[in-house]
Amino acid sequence: MDYCVISFESTQGAILAQKLLEGVCPVQVMPVLREISKGCGISVRFAPEHLDAVRTALASSPLAPGEYGFYGVTGGGKTLSTRPLS
Amino acid sequence: MKMIDAKGKPCPTPVILAKQAIAGGEAAFLIEVDNRPAVENLKRLAGNQGFAVTVREADGIFALEFSRGGGAAPACDAAADAPLPAPSRHYTVFVGRDVIGSGDRELGANLMRMFFYTLASGGDLPQSVLFMNAGVKLPALDDQVVEHLKDLRARGVEVLVCGTCLNFYGIADKLRVGTVSNMYDIVSQMQSASKVITV
Repeated sequence: MDYCVISFESTQGAILAQKLLEGVCPVQVMPVLREISKGCGISVRFAPEHLDAVRTALASSPLAPGEYGFYGVTGGGKTLSTRPLS
Repeated sequence: MKMIDAKGKPCPTPVILAKQAIAGGEAAFLIEVDNRPAVENLKRLAGNQGFAVTVREADGIFALEFSRGGGAAPACDAAADAPLPAPSRHYTVFVGRDVIGSGDRELGANLMRMFFYTLASGGDLPQSVLFMNAGVKLPALDDQVVEHLKDLRARGVEVLVCGTCLNFYGIADKLRVGTVSNMYDIVSQMQSASKVITV
């Protein structure tokens, strides 16, 4: 797994998550990968080593668990693969 | 061989002088400049006009030797740190705002970050990215956009940032990536591109 992304049910959720993760770990916003798509165009990308910290931060936030999903991404271009992280 | 002294002349003058030499039928000539933007602009001109170019640098003076029929890979010495733009880089991106579109600023800021993420992820890179007015806040203040611009620069994309605009917003000392530039260079970039995408 090269990096993790979170996709969101709503744009507002994506923007809120960015704020919640300030100070937790470095994040980037990116367009949702076509392989994932969960309704909203904005996703948040971060390094796999921060997965636990990010999960914890979102779990204690106003975002309901059903409003976002974690994915692991490996490779890029034609070799890109994604898998949901439970 | 014809020798053109363009030292001390701001862009786009060196390019104009070289164009005149080419239009005058010179098959080979030497042009000397004293700044790197001029070197990059001249290298692009050479590529567009079917000339090979070699660059030598000594004491801050760049001597570019043009020769017609540049089928061979242009030889640049180690001092020319930026790789030559690939042929597909015929377009330039103009950023005159710090957000994309009008409406919610937070959404617009995220769209701008995603624009640069996507631009830097793709293979078809622009020859340059030009920042003016509130757009100059991005290479100075936006962590994510700065990272993408550093990546683009490392791959040969020129990043020009309006110095007047940086001064206007009081952030000239905060610029983190790109070359402080002026209207001459920015217009020159637009004129040498076959397409300008305004964000």
